[in-house]
Amino acid sequence: MTKMGGIVISGRAWDLLRRFLHGFRTATGRKRLSNPQTDSGASGALVEIRNLHFARGERTILNDLSLTIARGKVTAIMGGSGCGKTTLLNLIGGRLRPSSGQVLVDGVSVPDLSTRELFELRKRMGMLFQSGALLTDLDAFENVAFPIREHKNLPESILRHVVLMKLETVGLRGARELMPAELSGGMARRVALARAIALEPMMIMYDEPFTGLDPISKGVIVKLIRELNTGLGITSVLVSHDVAEACAISDYAYLLGNGRIIGQGTPQEISQSKVEEVRQFMGGLPDGPVPYQYPAMDYLEDLLQGGQA
Amino acid sequence: MNPLRRLGKFVLDSVEGLGRASLFFFEVTVGTRQLARRFELVVQQVYAVGVLTLLIILVSGLFVGMVLGLQGYHTLVKFGAEDSLGLLVALSLVRELGPVVTALLFAGRAGSSLTAEIGLMKATEQLAGMEMMAVNPIERVIAPRLVAGIIAMPLLAALFSAIGVLGGHLVGVGLLGVDSGAFWSQMQSGVGFREDILNGVIKSVVFGVVVTWIAVFQGYESVPTSEGVSRATNRTVVFSSLAVLALDFIMTALMFK
Repeated sequence: MTKMGGIVISGRAWDLLRRFLHGFRTATGRKRLSNPQTDSGASGALVEIRNLHFARGERTILNDLSLTIARGKVTAIMGGSGCGKTTLLNLIGGRLRPSSGQVLVDGVSVPDLSTRELFELRKRMGMLFQSGALLTDLDAFENVAFPIREHKNLPESILRHVVLMKLETVGLRGARELMPAELSGGMARRVALARAIALEPMMIMYDEPFTGLDPISKGVIVKLIRELNTGLGITSVLVSHDVAEACAISDYAYLLGNGRIIGQGTPQEISQSKVEEVRQFMGGLPDGPVPYQYPAMDYLEDLLQGGQA
Repeated sequence: MNPLRRLGKFVLDSVEGLGRASLFFFEVTVGTRQLARRFELVVQQVYAVGVLTLLIILVSGLFVGMVLGLQGYHTLVKFGAEDSLGLLVALSLVRELGPVVTALLFAGRAGSSLTAEIGLMKATEQLAGMEMMAVNPIERVIAPRLVAGIIAMPLLAALFSAIGVLGGHLVGVGLLGVDSGAFWSQMQSGVGFREDILNGVIKSVVFGVVVTWIAVFQGYESVPTSEGVSRATNRTVVFSSLAVLALDFIMTALMFK
């Protein structure tokens, strides 16, 4: 929501107006975006976030957040549920707009992009959703073929080769005819991964890739993330609260808490951190800086009040 | 919250909702430009919202026509005007019942399924997934459904009216003994193409736009939970039925003088 002259304008309306104004400015020759390959290209950072602030209504979700995601590396972003990890991915992918601060992907400021420019950028970014987000009316083959059909005009025979190659990468070439409802959770995520790499992106964002999977499926996903990173050089951003798996495959990790970074470093550095919040999270301790008890009035007083009522 | 404040909030929320729905409609209209090269998406949706709605439309049309035949006959026979039964059945169907009842049935059958489908696509992150694959869900998912609804509604209304006339004939001529020649000839001379049929078609096109617009908007705006989708489906049926009835009154007042 944006307050404007006392009238509350919804996010979508504001977005449309903004796009319209952007189109107008572009048409009148005042183009803002120039060279996509700017400073970050040289520094080896694919994603740079500077002083990012994001709020939903009154609630601040991310507060003055700054982080860098190195090109060609696996970077883990860890943190408890609801600490804003997925929000951060949505901000990088341009699905949300920050209240203030900068989000640069490959040197391009994501919030300033027009819809068309944003879509061009997204063709170079893959995202693996927690649920897989497969299209339920298409089988595994067609799901992987979907982005290719939408964006590339390939003859059917070549398309078949490309899709089978992607499915082979995730070990599911034999499951091409199965519908999403017939796939197990782990398999659905692997098909979704094959779809995420269909357009050969420069980076993949993984949103909780290990949640709800059995140990074997988890192991498969861990292997795939690592292989895609080393084999194809894809930069990986891994959002997870599974400490063991995330630490096992990441080159660098950030720990998020209360909308800010509470710890960062290589997985080894983080696990040896002396910061209490970090130690609580890494050790899975039930009580600590994040209290076991949800804030409430005094216990005795609460019980006595209940007796009177 | 005091009642005055609640009223104010309700009015502001409604106006804001209408604004969002209008902008959404604008976006979808712009998105339909892409459909020329992907017309198969529209065809699939015409099947889903049109062909699959045929059964309920045809059965209802037949019964409505038969009831009109019965009721019309018993009224007309008092004045010795039972020969005009064909005209009465045809005018009632083509002008009013065809477009209106079809739109109401369409809202219940196709509108609710559109809302639920889009709402669940949202809840299962399929729409978000498309966005992240640089595919605009407004163009890929919403626009074909809106166009399909606009195409399907007049066709369904025409079929409803056609089978209704046959139902009227079945009862009037077959059971009650009205003269078949009089039934058809009165209809032929009394039903005008422009003032009756065309106006009926205009009505059903307007209903097609409104009902499908409400259905896809409610689905797209739904809260992505099971309760949210259920509420959105409910709203689709209620809002579109009310919109159809209100618009029908306005259009009837403007069209038939």
